[in-house]
Amino acid sequence: MPQVAVVGSGLAGFTAYQTLRRALAPGDIAVFGTDADPAAAWRVRAAAIGQREMRSESDGHCLPTSFPGLAISSVRRRRSPRPLLDSLLDRYHPTVDEFLAHVERLRERSGWDESLVLRTVERVRATDGGFELEWLEAPSAEPPAPGRNSRARLRRTRRERFAHVLLAPGHPGLNVPDELRDDPRAVHSYEPHDYAATVTVVGAGLAAATEWLNALAAGAEVVSVRRREPTRRPLNVPRQYFSRRGLAGFHCLGPHERVERLGALTAPSYPPGTQWDEPLERAAREGRFRVEQTVNGSAQVICATGFRRGFRHDRLLARLVAEHGLETTEGWLVLNPDSTVPGLSDATRTLAVAGAPAQWAFPAADSLAGARYAAHGFLRRIETCRTR
Amino acid sequence: MSYTLRGRVETRVAALLVVLLAACALAGALHRWWPVELVALMAGVGLFLDLEVWHRLLPYQPAWATVPLGAVELAALVAIVYGFGLHAPLVPSLGLFGAGWLVSFVLAQAGFPLLRLGYAEDGGELGRIGAAAAGAVLLALIGSAATWYVRLPPVVTLSAGVHKGPLVIRQREILQGKPGAVVRGGIVVAHDDVQIRNVTVLGGTNGITVDGVDGTVLDNVTVEGAKLDGIHVRAAGIVVRDCTIDMLGARFGQGIDISFNMDMGMSVVEGCTIVGGMQGITTHSSMTEIMRNRVSRTRRQAIDVDEMSMGTASHNVIRNAVGVGLYCNDRSMCMFDHNTVVGTRPDRSSGLRTKRGFGVLASFQSEADLWQNRLVANPVAAGTVLNSTLETTRRPGW
Repeated sequence: MPQVAVVGSGLAGFTAYQTLRRALAPGDIAVFGTDADPAAAWRVRAAAIGQREMRSESDGHCLPTSFPGLAISSVRRRRSPRPLLDSLLDRYHPTVDEFLAHVERLRERSGWDESLVLRTVERVRATDGGFELEWLEAPSAEPPAPGRNSRARLRRTRRERFAHVLLAPGHPGLNVPDELRDDPRAVHSYEPHDYAATVTVVGAGLAAATEWLNALAAGAEVVSVRRREPTRRPLNVPRQYFSRRGLAGFHCLGPHERVERLGALTAPSYPPGTQWDEPLERAAREGRFRVEQTVNGSAQVICATGFRRGFRHDRLLARLVAEHGLETTEGWLVLNPDSTVPGLSDATRTLAVAGAPAQWAFPAADSLAGARYAAHGFLRRIETCRTR
Repeated sequence: MSYTLRGRVETRVAALLVVLLAACALAGALHRWWPVELVALMAGVGLFLDLEVWHRLLPYQPAWATVPLGAVELAALVAIVYGFGLHAPLVPSLGLFGAGWLVSFVLAQAGFPLLRLGYAEDGGELGRIGAAAAGAVLLALIGSAATWYVRLPPVVTLSAGVHKGPLVIRQREILQGKPGAVVRGGIVVAHDDVQIRNVTVLGGTNGITVDGVDGTVLDNVTVEGAKLDGIHVRAAGIVVRDCTIDMLGARFGQGIDISFNMDMGMSVVEGCTIVGGMQGITTHSSMTEIMRNRVSRTRRQAIDVDEMSMGTASHNVIRNAVGVGLYCNDRSMCMFDHNTVVGTRPDRSSGLRTKRGFGVLASFQSEADLWQNRLVANPVAAGTVLNSTLETTRRPGW
């Protein structure tokens, strides 16, 4: 019977699984999720914005250690040392195809499908020395026994207890500004779409920047609507926040200061570079690209406004917080520095969070490095657990 | 990588452990301490820069920065090695530094991340491995220092007064003369790693004979009245510093003769004063640096690089030599720079045209490079005979 559960079968859960496999067999881990392909949701979003290259660098992968990175496999595949040299200069970015192939390879060799339980966990409840996960069984295909009514065919609730649970529920949904919710012209950037002749892109992050270029390339006239000027930086947060050097100070901040810092760190940004600037400057000179403060009369409005933020938008987390009285601050779930949930993690059991809801512990938690960070903390706890 | 201070230090020390162990092995093989000294110095320079400069300057250190940082560390290391006169051979030292740099780069980029799950996010901290590595490095350095101390040759003090020779030294030792310590009849060095300091030698066939041994250092010795050579070296590695040799009256004598030790690395003669003799300093089939010596009143050549030798003579002062001041002969390759040759006189009795009083002479298929020598009051300033070349070069040294 598995003692360890991962709730969520997306990339964060998948990355955590790879780390857990360093110490555990597939039979010791149960992964709950809705899709066998860990990149299923991400793949759709990347295709929707026409993303061809990852923002992350060589270490943006799902393996448990930062080395060997994707640059090494690119060297083999491309038969050229160029990816490695680019990686030394922080200029290597794997293609989306390379990343997806990497996920597929790992999926095949890690035993992922063996550990997978295709069910949606509805509830997590702390018990003595562990956590009880609750999910709905699949409806029975057989007809009800004679004398029993059809309600017996209804899905039954099933509960199981695990000593260590990692929650990786993913993003709680797409964020669409209220004023555009009912606008028939509006589409979210992460939903499949084409481009009209005139396009307004709301937002100023990487998705927005990608949409600007794609829409311009499709011949559209583009208006960028933004509340503030985007920050230009290579990764989604400054590099020192990926290591203890920056995190030590971050973890020392008081709750409100930390909320403020998170606001600043997660503000829209996209990488610097001529590949972004040149097409925009050229289009601006041609009168095909401009910045405005409000949505105008474009034929299409693309909301490159990312995801909803905060535990309240996630049903599982919201219920967990409500039932256990967990500490929160301004919509953020308060976590220990190692991404575990305070009060519910001790020497005998661990409840950890990975992915976007874990930004309280690691500002770049919604990246692959962030998923790895949470997974490392989770595995450390498991390995030092008295009852293991 | 965004290193924490502790991570930076632990990474540095753990990477250094591999190089230090290699240096210890190399030191054992070569019977020389410079590899360990160099690695200890690398550790010192690296840790100082980590603590005082790199950590403050670099919140994030990209992989490519290892190259310029390594260059700065190398420059600091070379400055210290040369500034403090540590005797480490240049090319092997550069090789050791390069190997250390490469090992450190590979370990930081690949080895440690594989070894420790959270290496990158822990800012390079290695946890118990780091502490163990620091302990091992400390242990290796202390062990090396202890070995060095235990292996120090015993100091034998030669009291003031005249001691009957010839004195034959058959063990590693430092023969330290008290002021007024004199050996009459010569000294023979018959063991590796012998040092002789502050001793005067009177008489003997040769003043001091060093034959077939390595690591001899003669420091502040005085030789007078030797019949043949003041210091006679055959197939031996030697350093002679601050010696005084009086060969006046020795008809066939040479001040210092270093021969047939080409395979024993570079020998050095530095800061000596030599008067009289057929040759002041002569080398045959040898690689010798002859620096800052004062040679005068010799009867054939003052400084002679001979018989397929490769030699440098620099900053020497030669006065009143008969025949030739600086001589590069018999297929030798010579570099003569910053020497002063004054008042050389011709050897008229010999009738040879090679003894017409040359300041510098290259003879018999030899090549001599010259740079900034002062050749004053010599009958012939410089010349060549028998298919030899003299060239002025702007790049002194080998």
